[in-house]
Amino acid sequence: MQSIPMTRRRAAIILGATLALGGITFVRPAPAHEAPCPFCAQTLTQDTATQDNEVTLKLGKKRIEYKCVYCALSEAKTEYKGDLSILAPSEKKGEPVTLKRTDGKWTASEENVAFVAQKANHKICNVTYRAFTTIEAAQVYIANNKEQLPDTKPLTLAQMLEIVDKTNEKAK
Amino acid sequence: MQRKIWMTTLAILAAASVTHAQMPASITALPSLPKNLPSWLDNTKQNHIFYKRGPYNFAVYNLKPLALDLNAVAVGHAMAYEDLVTGKAATLDSATFDHINRVLNNPPKFMPDEANLSPTFGRKYGVLEQVFDWTHVLHAQTVDVLASPKMTPAQKDREIRALWDFYFTQVPYAITPLPMNMGWLDSQPYSMAFRHKYPKVNGLFWGYHWLQGGMYDMLDGLTLEQQKRSYEVVGQRYHKTELYRTNRVFMPMFAETSPKFAAKYPDIANAFDNLHMLHDMVNDILASDWISDSQKAEQIKRAIWIVSADAHRNEKAGDGTDQMQGSMHDHRFLEGMPGMGMMKGATTELMYMPGMGWMSMSDCHHCSMPLPTGKDEWRSSTVSAEGWTMRQRCALCARDMASETKGQAILRIPLETPEKTLVVISDEEGNLTTDTPGVLFLEEPGSHAKCNQWSRAFSGHAAFDDFVRANPKYKDAKPLTFKDWANKEGAGTPATYVKPHGPVENPYAMEHEAKEAHQ
Repeated sequence: MQSIPMTRRRAAIILGATLALGGITFVRPAPAHEAPCPFCAQTLTQDTATQDNEVTLKLGKKRIEYKCVYCALSEAKTEYKGDLSILAPSEKKGEPVTLKRTDGKWTASEENVAFVAQKANHKICNVTYRAFTTIEAAQVYIANNKEQLPDTKPLTLAQMLEIVDKTNEKAK
Repeated sequence: MQRKIWMTTLAILAAASVTHAQMPASITALPSLPKNLPSWLDNTKQNHIFYKRGPYNFAVYNLKPLALDLNAVAVGHAMAYEDLVTGKAATLDSATFDHINRVLNNPPKFMPDEANLSPTFGRKYGVLEQVFDWTHVLHAQTVDVLASPKMTPAQKDREIRALWDFYFTQVPYAITPLPMNMGWLDSQPYSMAFRHKYPKVNGLFWGYHWLQGGMYDMLDGLTLEQQKRSYEVVGQRYHKTELYRTNRVFMPMFAETSPKFAAKYPDIANAFDNLHMLHDMVNDILASDWISDSQKAEQIKRAIWIVSADAHRNEKAGDGTDQMQGSMHDHRFLEGMPGMGMMKGATTELMYMPGMGWMSMSDCHHCSMPLPTGKDEWRSSTVSAEGWTMRQRCALCARDMASETKGQAILRIPLETPEKTLVVISDEEGNLTTDTPGVLFLEEPGSHAKCNQWSRAFSGHAAFDDFVRANPKYKDAKPLTFKDWANKEGAGTPATYVKPHGPVENPYAMEHEAKEAHQ
């Protein structure tokens, strides 16, 4: 990877500023500074043109990014007690699944929400832990990622939460 | 008999392979000691010099929790060194760690004399003890000045500069104020031995250095009440996390923990970083079993010389011709941060902070627009969270950056003059509180190209009105109360933000791998 020479970097900043002055805004609940995932400490995987990757945990006025839905759920269950919500990217770009915890009870914005959860090195947890709007969408994803998800089956929200609980219990 | 010979041969081979395994594969020889070194390097007298006289001395006790924590740091340093040189190295990460940890949690009421706690170490490496001690005096007195409620900001500024002169001119063994190439200093044949061998005690050392760096932005320009409130957050972070971190790949740098102070007083920031690097070099030398005792003494002497002011007379910050780069005479610094030498893999424009990626020290860490410089340098805000402190260009950038970071945060936002700073504390859920609720804000969002104008904080209506009069384009702006401002939702990534990319993906990748291999 090449270093951006100062002049090019400055030019990029000025271009960005000019675009912004022109009224073009780009708003998403994501931190501008590069930060590691607070749970697994790995570099966050950025969204691409066709697929969202960044998971956001909303707690009060905080909006904290995680590398995958498992990382966000784990932190929600181990670090925070109150109500919160998690925006987990789905198979649909720009349409995340919202997982809410209210008075300790978890619900999902999608009635048929499904998850894939395959234990792997956290360097690729954004691939092996994901949320989907339907079981069918999860099955398509599993079929397209056989190498990383060899024996994976779609899970319900309750099953996903159970996995998070079990692994966190083991880690204690 | 044949069996005995065979067993002996095996034993010799095994011993040789152990020694070889402990010695880094790439080593051919230890660097030799430079010739014609000054005589002070061989001094064995105690040479205790006490504080510069001043009405501020021991004002740190106004912030008693910080004062006690600093007292414990001195004990922690001394205990580890004494055990290292008195045959207790094997239990450094167990018994010594536990012993130090008890002191850290039950700190002494007064600053101990380290020489009394580590007499053997002092006898063996006398000058080193003096170098440490003398620079610790500068640490203590600068903190006393900042914690003094009796001095004005201008008096504090003058006295801190006077303390630097006192430190630099009174003895021959001052540490150089020039930025040093940290990547080179940490690439000696013995480098990294201590952190791999004793990760827990090394974590304590780096925890102390985190506190000793971070306390400056926590104190500078703030009232005693603001300082006390801030230390509730900082002290908690120090005791809960920073002391016990074993996942760092490099020591905390001053500019990563107190960037405003480092930019304002680069001499002091560099001297402290160089002192902390000397600690690391000495630790690594002492932890390298493949180096003999006499070689250790020689390498420690060389390490002192490398970071001493004497070794760099007539050199200046910014020096860095091609021949100098990557040597002890490489005094380049990061653009926008004269108080920080070159980090591993860094260019003068970009540095890599493990966990945070590549960044520019001259731009806002939230919107990437240039930070104020020169006479306007004080106008930067800062956010301290998750162990780092970073500068932002405006109040909004500080608020949004804090809301996007896990855990508690301290926001320091300049008001209308350099003497007044607003301190805002964020709890774990992003709720903001301040001890100055009468402040007002201007927030008329537009492009971040001008966020330093449309997002500002003021101590009250008079200051707000003055600003609007001087900037008529904001004549229709309504001042926001603290509550209004604190309840605003984050605006997301500014359109001006640019993610910098350095020469390599991660210059510490090998250290990460080595750390994992040792764990």
